[in-house]
Amino acid sequence: MTSHDEPVIAVRGLRKTYQVPEREGGLRAATGSLFRRRTREVIAVAGIDLTVASGEIVGFLGPNGAGKTTTLKVLSGLLHPTSGEVRVMGYVPWERPSAFLRRMTLIMGQRNQLSWDIPVIDSFELNRAIFQVPRDEYRTRLSELVELLDLGDLIRKPIRNLSLGERMKCEFAGSLLHRPEVLFLDEPTIGLDVTMQRRIRGFIERYNERTGATTLLTSHYMADVEALCRRVIVIHHGRLLYDGDLSGLVSRFSPYKTIVLDLEPAEDSIEGLVHELVGNERWIVSVGQERVTLRVPRSETTGVTTRLLTALSVIDLVVEEPAIDEVIDLVFATTAESGELAEASTDDPS
Amino acid sequence: MRAVLRDVGLLWLSFRLGALDALQYRADFFVQLVQSSVGLVTALAGVAVVFGQTDRLAGWSQDELFALIGVFTLVGGLIGMVIRPSMERLMEGVRLGTLDFALTKPADAQVLVSIQRVDVWRTVDVVLGAGLLLIAISRLGQHIGPAQAIAFGLVLVAGVVIIYSFLLILATLAFWLVRLENILVIFGSMYEAGRWPVGIYPPWLRATLTFIVPVAFAITIPVESLVGRLEPTTLVGTLLLAAGFLVGSRLIWKLGLRHYTGASA
Repeated sequence: MTSHDEPVIAVRGLRKTYQVPEREGGLRAATGSLFRRRTREVIAVAGIDLTVASGEIVGFLGPNGAGKTTTLKVLSGLLHPTSGEVRVMGYVPWERPSAFLRRMTLIMGQRNQLSWDIPVIDSFELNRAIFQVPRDEYRTRLSELVELLDLGDLIRKPIRNLSLGERMKCEFAGSLLHRPEVLFLDEPTIGLDVTMQRRIRGFIERYNERTGATTLLTSHYMADVEALCRRVIVIHHGRLLYDGDLSGLVSRFSPYKTIVLDLEPAEDSIEGLVHELVGNERWIVSVGQERVTLRVPRSETTGVTTRLLTALSVIDLVVEEPAIDEVIDLVFATTAESGELAEASTDDPS
Repeated sequence: MRAVLRDVGLLWLSFRLGALDALQYRADFFVQLVQSSVGLVTALAGVAVVFGQTDRLAGWSQDELFALIGVFTLVGGLIGMVIRPSMERLMEGVRLGTLDFALTKPADAQVLVSIQRVDVWRTVDVVLGAGLLLIAISRLGQHIGPAQAIAFGLVLVAGVVIIYSFLLILATLAFWLVRLENILVIFGSMYEAGRWPVGIYPPWLRATLTFIVPVAFAITIPVESLVGRLEPTTLVGTLLLAAGFLVGSRLIWKLGLRHYTGASA
């Protein structure tokens, strides 16, 4: 067992580059590349450091091609990194020692490991044999997973007769029969309807509570991350942009808050007055007779709110943090343009 | 030793799962039965036609050729039952990225991919081949002593090992070339040539069937050892070659895995 103060996952200076064949479009170029292949180096992960403590659920965020899956594959032993040091439960993942593989699992939302044509329970039996789970333990765990995932009779049917969501639930059960201590989940809810996403999410949470398994998850759905992960790691262009709690991400990358005021209907136009009170044209989103919407820097929020409250007859006032999706969009848009944030945050891995 | 027992256990389980899958489609059994029987009868008829004209074919008697067809069908059944379907799935796994799952399991990945799919109905070939072989042996009776029987067993296992390693090497090429399903089809047609002793073919084809696509080692050479026509040096050479193939394919497999990066980066 890993002791509590020692991180379960420790990554230092992880880099992974791919050699990608490159050719121009068209038949001539295609024929040419039969004999002479030109390759280009693509940097998937450009040096990241991170540690994850036992029992944490960490969300891995980033747009497509950010390097999330590559990192997950290195951590689960599928890829050799180009350079860097990685330890998972003290093991070097890509040496794939049996003791390591026995204690972790990788679940990919886009791919199935269970056999298409045979009943789910028989595929489970194969996993039982491969992981050498003793029969009585297997039975206990299976009934536990069947209950937690609400599988019921599904496990007697072949995978091909199941819906996408049911299939995913079975994937989860099959991948957890050996009770892994580390879970790598790559887009586990992709393509599922909202209800099923919520179920899977609830399951991950309960599994973590019950077993204390350390979980690293990537997802495109912010709802997954908001519900499950207190801590998030944002990567973009293979670099670590942010590592910390979810609320910190918002205050860090979105320096604005939204203020919405509902007013008593006024006789005259209040536009001029509002402009005067706010003091900056650019902070004003819209001014109507009964509603004013502003986007104000965090530090100015209190001042602006006070001035407006004293000068106008306000019925209702709401100060909001922007939605997390918007923040993420903002982060990626900003870094795509300038790359400044990336530089700034590598100096300060909070 | 424990590892070997475990792998045998996994093979048996894989066979059972294959059986479960296959039993859903019972019609396939009858199709396979008809197909195998027709194949066998055609092969035997071919031999009968030849021996209507002569009583020796490149030094082989009719019963010896029956034994050869028995081994051809038996080994073909083994290849078609486990090796070829598993290798097809391996190549598919490289292309689609599902090989990832085999690599995250605490068992030897080579063993897992080599037994991952079993086409149970091909046992029909194994049974028919073994039956024909037994009949041929009983007719050859007095010519076969215990030494020949042991040599036959050894060389047959060595031959199957050579074919397995050869197909694993072919399938492992998918790590570099990604799409090459046809390569197994080409092997399939080369294997068909094994229903005759390689000695009857012109030298270039004989060399091809021995050294490039090593079909001769799995069919002609075992039967030669059965009828006591095999030189001891060839026997030792075959065993050494099998060991070499096994080690070589293992190395290439390891190299391929190192190269494998999954379908999506």
